[in-house]
Amino acid sequence: MSSTQASRIALIGSPNSGKSLLFNRLTGLNQKVANFPGITVNIASGQSLHDSSIQYLDFPGVYSMQAISGEEKVAVEAFISALEDNLLDAVVCVVDSTRLEKGLIFALQVLETCHRYNKPVLIAANMVDVLDQHSMQFDASGLSEALKVSVLPLSAKTGAGLEQISQSLADTTVPPEKFQSDIIASDDSVNHLHAQELAEKYGPRGDLLINTQTRLDSFFLHSWFGGLSFLVIMYLLFQSIFTWAAPAMDGVEASIQWLASVVLPLIPAGVASDFTSDALFGGIGAFLVFVPQIFVLTLVVGMLEDSGYLARAAVICHKPLRFFGLTGKSFIPMLSGVACAIPGVYAARTVESTRKRWLTYLAIPLMPCSARLPVYSLIIAAFIPAQKAMGGLVGWQGLAMFAIYLFGILCALLITALVSRSNAELRTDLPFVLEMPPYRLPSWRPLIINAWNRSKHFVTKAGKVIFAVTVVIWVLGYFPNYGTSLGDSWLGTMGQWIEPLFAPFGLDWRYGVAILSSFLAREVFVGTLGTMFGIEGAEENFTSLAQQIQDSGLPLGAGAALLVFFAIALQCVSTLAVLQRETGSWRLPLQLFISYSIFAYTAALAVFHLVELLV
Amino acid sequence: MTLWDLTQGASAKVSRFKSSIESGYRTRLSELGFHPGEQIACVMSPSMGAPKLYRVNNTVYSLDDSIASLIEVA
Repeated sequence: MSSTQASRIALIGSPNSGKSLLFNRLTGLNQKVANFPGITVNIASGQSLHDSSIQYLDFPGVYSMQAISGEEKVAVEAFISALEDNLLDAVVCVVDSTRLEKGLIFALQVLETCHRYNKPVLIAANMVDVLDQHSMQFDASGLSEALKVSVLPLSAKTGAGLEQISQSLADTTVPPEKFQSDIIASDDSVNHLHAQELAEKYGPRGDLLINTQTRLDSFFLHSWFGGLSFLVIMYLLFQSIFTWAAPAMDGVEASIQWLASVVLPLIPAGVASDFTSDALFGGIGAFLVFVPQIFVLTLVVGMLEDSGYLARAAVICHKPLRFFGLTGKSFIPMLSGVACAIPGVYAARTVESTRKRWLTYLAIPLMPCSARLPVYSLIIAAFIPAQKAMGGLVGWQGLAMFAIYLFGILCALLITALVSRSNAELRTDLPFVLEMPPYRLPSWRPLIINAWNRSKHFVTKAGKVIFAVTVVIWVLGYFPNYGTSLGDSWLGTMGQWIEPLFAPFGLDWRYGVAILSSFLAREVFVGTLGTMFGIEGAEENFTSLAQQIQDSGLPLGAGAALLVFFAIALQCVSTLAVLQRETGSWRLPLQLFISYSIFAYTAALAVFHLVELLV
Repeated sequence: MTLWDLTQGASAKVSRFKSSIESGYRTRLSELGFHPGEQIACVMSPSMGAPKLYRVNNTVYSLDDSIASLIEVA
């Protein structure tokens, strides 16, 4: 590595050591996903806020250098290959100073590995703020002397000690050879005994937080209160997507309308003006309105994870999920799937059992991901009045959203239950061992940064596809008659061909075209529909897309059928590609794509007839 | 007696792992602190067979019956 390049510093540590919080503290908003050739694991990279010559790389958390789960294996291999290829200049091993013994078992393994690859190491003893609160201390200099590497006490939460990290990094040394022979020798019990000895000699003494933790656990894991609070928390999650995001969504919509009213008069009437109005403001605008919801959803899921509640939710769900052929560990990948199926598929690596992981893969694409959110919001806003019941406590739209989310989850469970029962091998189980992180007040800054990055990613990544599809749809819908009649356009002609496919559940050809385009990515549906309604409508009259759907006289049954279709169909090229990469073959993604398409179509048809019969 | 038999509030020392436990898991449990000679407390035993919560040093883990019944305690 040349000296003009920034120093690359790896952050490595166990889950719950506060490593990612430290990474966020050190890099702020300057983050991107590091691109290592041949490495499939997500490694975030970011320039140091304090020292521009330092670039930090955040490796996924692992408990041990001897991996037992798929995710750990990939993460450890990524770390080793980065060391082998000389991509790193130093390693920061993050340990939780409140649980020093456990951290040291891992740190000793890291020291041995770094000795082998001749890399300097710094041990970052995190969470000293918790020790301070309990008037406890630990002997960092004693530990540093014993380990022959720098030990820096710090708090990623309060920022204490962070200003010294550049200096400490400059002072780091390669761990001495004597470590290898004395401690590791690949003998776990020797390693364990040494860590125990060091923790006893230099570590803090006494109980930490455990009492508060036990009190909270006896509530959140209580037979009645536990289940009830789980339902309430999940319900609030979905209500928050509507209520918290609503002002921002209104703001985005108003800004787009304002921008259109300023820009459109400046463009002479004709093709350019029509394109700006229909494709840009109609198509892209319709999609941008939903970005605040993605932001809120990511923020709330991140908050639950940070608070320590998600691990409790996994404990609560373990027994019921076992009934459906899954494990409590499937809960986190499935909940991540509520934000986006792709991180969900990656998170499924934490499910050690290959069979349970495979079953989790079947469930994830049915989880109500955020790309479905714009479609759901649009249909719900078109059919369900924005009124509240029970003194403003329950919003009908939020309730409808909860119902359609629940429907997706139930479909996922039904499928895993059926598939696991059809095959005796799939019923066998691997043990469930899960660390219960201490309850913590979430740190808002990193959560907001994360939600911001995800929203940005959503806009830039999905935005490109939506823009391309919107332009194609607009051209096909506008020509050859220059927007005078959508029905007689090229798109209209093509739409008539596919109309028989969607007519059985009350949808005209415009929805058919929007559904077909959404097989690239679900949210394209909203943009496509927005563009088509834009071409049809008078350009000076901007009404929301939901209003236009309402005015178009779409029957309620067709709305319900659309919701059900989108809840089941696997319309996401990226998810299929990630499943292919994770399973190493196209077999599973193709099977899922075909079977979920057929299931979605049949269920939509059934729901349409059911609703039409009842209403 | 196994770890799974510990009632809420009770504690005991790990004596050994049953031979049916997979070696990868034996290593991992040791790394997490479930090591012969280590004192383990059952801090929470939710009803209806849900995984129980065990405390080792300052860390709490949740283990289900399939693994806790393979760890013998005395």
